[in-house]
Amino acid sequence: MPEIIVKPATLKELWKTLPGLSRNRRYLAGGTDIVTADNAGVERSECWIDISDLPELGGIKETASSIFIGSCVKISAIEKSAAARRWCPALLAAIPHFASPSLRNMATLGGNAANGSPCADGVTALVAEGAFVHLALKGKRRRLPLKDLFLGPKRTALKKDEIIAAFEIPKRKHLGAYLKIGPRAYFGISKAAVAVSVELSGGAVKLACIALGSVAPVPLYAVKTSAWLAGKKLSPEVIRDAAALVKAEVSPITDARSAADYRREMCGVLLERALDSFQS
Amino acid sequence: MEKLSFVGKSLPRKDALIKATGRAQYAADRDFAGMLHAAAVRSPRPRIKILSISDKAARRVPGYVTLVTYKDIKGVNKWPVVMQDYPFLPQGEARFAGETVALVVADSARAAKKAAALVEIKYKELPSVADPLKALEKGSVKIYGKDNIVSSFVIKKGAVDKAFEKAAFTVEGEFSTNYQVHAYLETQGAVAVPEADGGMTVHSSTQCPFYVLDAVAAALALPYHKVKILQTVTGGGFGGKEDVPALVASHAALCAAKTGRPVKLIYGRKEDFQSMSKRHPGWARVAYAADKNGRITACRVKYVLDGGAYSTLSPIVLWRGTVHAAGPYKIANVDIQTYAAATNKVPCGAFRGFGQPQICFAQESLIDELAEKVGVDPVQFRLNNLLAPGDKTITGQKLNSSCGLKEVVQAVKRRSGWDKKVLSPKRQGDVVTGIGFSATYYGVGLGAKGRYLDRAGAFVNVYKDSSVTVNVGNTEMGQGALTVLAQITAETLNAPYDSVRVEEVDSSKVPDSGPTVASRTTLMSGNAIIEAATPIRERVFKTAYDMLIAEGADASKPMLAAGGLFSMGGKVVDFKKVAAGCWDRRQKMSEQGWYAAPRTTFKMEDGQGDAYVIYSYSADAAEVEVDLRTGVAKVKKIWAAYDVGKIVNPRLAMGQAQGGILQGMSWAMFENLVYKNGIMVNPNFTDYVIATTADKPEYDIIFIEKPYAEGPYKAKGMGEVPLIGVAPAVANAIKNACGARVRSVPLLPEKIWNEIKKG
Repeated sequence: MPEIIVKPATLKELWKTLPGLSRNRRYLAGGTDIVTADNAGVERSECWIDISDLPELGGIKETASSIFIGSCVKISAIEKSAAARRWCPALLAAIPHFASPSLRNMATLGGNAANGSPCADGVTALVAEGAFVHLALKGKRRRLPLKDLFLGPKRTALKKDEIIAAFEIPKRKHLGAYLKIGPRAYFGISKAAVAVSVELSGGAVKLACIALGSVAPVPLYAVKTSAWLAGKKLSPEVIRDAAALVKAEVSPITDARSAADYRREMCGVLLERALDSFQS
Repeated sequence: MEKLSFVGKSLPRKDALIKATGRAQYAADRDFAGMLHAAAVRSPRPRIKILSISDKAARRVPGYVTLVTYKDIKGVNKWPVVMQDYPFLPQGEARFAGETVALVVADSARAAKKAAALVEIKYKELPSVADPLKALEKGSVKIYGKDNIVSSFVIKKGAVDKAFEKAAFTVEGEFSTNYQVHAYLETQGAVAVPEADGGMTVHSSTQCPFYVLDAVAAALALPYHKVKILQTVTGGGFGGKEDVPALVASHAALCAAKTGRPVKLIYGRKEDFQSMSKRHPGWARVAYAADKNGRITACRVKYVLDGGAYSTLSPIVLWRGTVHAAGPYKIANVDIQTYAAATNKVPCGAFRGFGQPQICFAQESLIDELAEKVGVDPVQFRLNNLLAPGDKTITGQKLNSSCGLKEVVQAVKRRSGWDKKVLSPKRQGDVVTGIGFSATYYGVGLGAKGRYLDRAGAFVNVYKDSSVTVNVGNTEMGQGALTVLAQITAETLNAPYDSVRVEEVDSSKVPDSGPTVASRTTLMSGNAIIEAATPIRERVFKTAYDMLIAEGADASKPMLAAGGLFSMGGKVVDFKKVAAGCWDRRQKMSEQGWYAAPRTTFKMEDGQGDAYVIYSYSADAAEVEVDLRTGVAKVKKIWAAYDVGKIVNPRLAMGQAQGGILQGMSWAMFENLVYKNGIMVNPNFTDYVIATTADKPEYDIIFIEKPYAEGPYKAKGMGEVPLIGVAPAVANAIKNACGARVRSVPLLPEKIWNEIKKG
């Protein structure tokens, strides 16, 4: 743990505090990644900036067209939110797969995204929700499709000191699913995960959004398979073909957690099962 | 059967309250005035020649005190375990990544860690060997002797080649198992406190305080009477706190001796993973032969354990595996050859089951294949071949009447609904359900290979106020020793359970009682307590009788003693009064006890003779669901039956059984420590996963209590037994469910999926 941890009261105070701090600094939200890294001796910042209680980053708000989830809202609070439940079915389906109940009381979606891991359950589900991310740096704000935030393993488009303020999920009537293969029944990093959101109209797909975890350098938005599904009826053949297509879209690796060929195959199986669940 | 007041009852754990309320004092909770903190400097590579160690940069860390290297060792730089090849601190060569090369002492743990990271080791990398099978090849890099063989055993009986030639059925298979990490909640740690007379007191989280005593005395070149080891409340052991706490404590003691101040050394989880002992990875080629009636006629085994860089406990772990390598069957012809190979990886040692689970997975998987070839139901096949009282084991040992093997197998068969389930695996969508079986036996205690250590002492002291203190040399590490030993004391003295306190081990109060391993504590310390308490009991009972008479009791009926009360002819007196009466009469109210295990006759040359004094027995059936498309398996239910002799505390025994099953299942299904190029890849609980409560199967557990005449109140040994047979039962269930025979533990979805694909 670094010698210095600062905790500004507001965003404004944060921007004022920054120039006085060591350049080797990191934001601390829920701490579930950064403290673990620290315990393992791989987190070497000289200063942590605790943003977990910044009022500007908390709360779940609704407008006519979107819901906004503050970047430092605890995962367990999202789990309990009626608005999130109504408008983010894929995200809600991912939450039981997200770490453990005690960690969900600490962890945040902001940290889940900023950590830049391809296996992030919350973020992968949010990509399937078609979410946007709102970023802030001193007075400047910008908005990106969430899928574009990720550049590679542990690499994001965040600029030095830029902060994730909120996630915006467009309100649209859709179905969602999140399926994952982890190392045990729950509480584990996925070997492969599939998040799907689908707008159906008379049995046909109006819009499909597929995202995959742990099978590419980033939480992967499956462009081709998502586009291919548009306009199709969810028949067993279509589902099988979509599964075949998605397997060609991913680029898994073999590491200590799983094997590339297994991961690729599981993307197909999980997508098939997710789409099947929308039929019944 | 004698009527018992305390033994056989589910009395509450003695340590429940302090542990549940967080008041228990673990090693890290011990603080002393002027205390310093140590941190280890570790070897970064699998095998290095150390050229120099410099603390130049480390000195700049505020609070830095000193660097401790091999030069600071006053004694012989050899840690006394079994073979003495492991230096306390390496001088020329470090042999695995993570080995402690030096220690930094500073005024805070944080400063010590920071400074340790800045200590510079200049080194030259040396050629290394990672694979135990390659290590045994002729042309391999030699890191141990001339052949990399740390230890080797044989068991030879009958004419094996001939039996295989004549056999109607034969099977052969290669099997492997991976490491298992103990995952105790409390990492390793010790606090060493220098004494004014040049002695050293060490507070140590350990299963084996006397191993710590041996090591600290050796490292500091101190006579034993100047070294005192106090076991702290120990947050889990499972074998992981058998040998290595002696190394950790010696390091703390070296730092304390050099600085003259108390020094605390507490491991982080990562370094604990990288450098502390593990369950050995195992590899085995096993073959069985059977005649046309399905009787097993021969068994041939080659069994190799990956010992790691130093021998530590490998020889005795391997020996236990060797003795049990053919399974609990009557087999006339046996050829078992076993090896522990040296590799440049973390030294492996004790882990619940101690060399048995690895080979049990291989042979009990293969027994199923043999049964299938013969065309007999696998449980019936086992029943046709099991050892029974009067039968001889593969070492030629005749089993006595305390052998409930057939009964435990039959009980599990009946309770699991085996006959129906095994014939019709269920299928629902992509998910199939199957059932699998295993049977095991387990030699209680240290056996022939550890016979010189197989003794234990006890000190029982009844105070004037009738409270009782018991000192033993075996430890509580979560398994319930304090409770079970208090029950045995209370029973023997007829003292109320609440009045008995068994203390954590203080090496200065009891003689060397050997290690707390091999499910031996109830048996060894229990018997030592009975020996100590029996003369006190005689005085107490005589005094009680005299007091009852004095109160006018009718002596025509015998005196009854139960539950802390003595009664006769309508009069009653309690233990408190009787104890005071004994003190008034100036009776001796404290005694020493000693128990040494009976002699064993095993010969190392051919592996024949009595290997252990007594055996416990187990049977497991596992019901497992397999997803045919993902290979993901889930253990739904485990039925288990054990013969561990008399059960002293049913609730604790049930806890041991459930914990052992879960730990065995976790090893079988999930636990996967990965090495790449001699470096541990996942030394953390993020990527080394163990079973959680969500993975927990349903349990159906029963005990068949075959009394053991020599045991304390007829008990045998329990702790390790429940783990051993779980993996093969699960593997056999997976085979039954979907046809996939996976020959390596952990039984990962990837492996099951690959087998299913092969069809």
